[in-house]
Amino acid sequence: MPSQDQRPDALDERLQALFSAYREACPDPEPSPGFMPQLWQKIDANRSYTYSLKRLAQGIITAAAAAALLMGVYLANPQPRPSPSYLELLAASQTHNDLADTEIVQASHDNPR
Amino acid sequence: MLVEFELIRRARDGDDAAYSQVVQAYRKRILGTIGRLIGRPEDVEDVGQEVFLRLYFSLDQLRSPEVFEPWLYRLTVNAAYDYLRRQRRRNESRMADLSEQQVVLADAAASSKRDAEEQRRKRVRELLDTLMSSISEQDRILLTLKEIEGLSLKELEKAYGVNENALKVRLFRARQRVLKVFEASTEAATGAVRSK
Repeated sequence: MPSQDQRPDALDERLQALFSAYREACPDPEPSPGFMPQLWQKIDANRSYTYSLKRLAQGIITAAAAAALLMGVYLANPQPRPSPSYLELLAASQTHNDLADTEIVQASHDNPR
Repeated sequence: MLVEFELIRRARDGDDAAYSQVVQAYRKRILGTIGRLIGRPEDVEDVGQEVFLRLYFSLDQLRSPEVFEPWLYRLTVNAAYDYLRRQRRRNESRMADLSEQQVVLADAAASSKRDAEEQRRKRVRELLDTLMSSISEQDRILLTLKEIEGLSLKELEKAYGVNENALKVRLFRARQRVLKVFEASTEAATGAVRSK
């Protein structure tokens, strides 16, 4: 079989030669004159995008920190309530007479002795 | 190394002028490598700019200037992979490109002005491209870096972050597969000559 005679060494050498020939056949291309300006444009565009994203993230973090601080201060110094709560108002408005209709109060009035 | 370590250090520390010098030193070599990896000269500069863009934004992660070249090759391989993956996804544009390539080939064949040397180079490119198409994209890139770009196993180890033995096995298998196809094509050519 001719292929077996060819194979391991001769064919391998030919393949190696083909790799070298390919390297010569595909030389490194000369970059176009616009290569560097275009690259810097891309870098600047990316940089400004990254920068604005960073600014936005910093803004959000600052705002969140300020809100947390304000909340902390507010909770640490509880102010006297400016107006009573609904339940307090309800309790205050319930005088003895207002409860006269209820059976419990009525019963205590009927049997004073 | 094509540049001094000091220049890379300066570029890493944010010196744009130093970075420009680094790009200017490496761009031709990287464009050549990309051309041989993706096989489409019209897209080489775009992929090259992508490599240097990624380099610019990742240079601060470079541990030491000594590993700069493997780092750059790693970025190059990744950008080439990404490009090839995008190309695979764009089926319709690939079809359009194929027909464009066919037109180019037809033009080339029709041109009688083309000299013998260029014809020989073209045949070499076509033959090796055919052989390399018999193996996977990853193996083709690995074999190209080793056999055509001339990277050593040590450099490949650094670029890929894989141990040398694993690379050797993978390279051996890829080479065997290419040899098998090469043998078959040689036999076919010999058979065709004999039958004439």
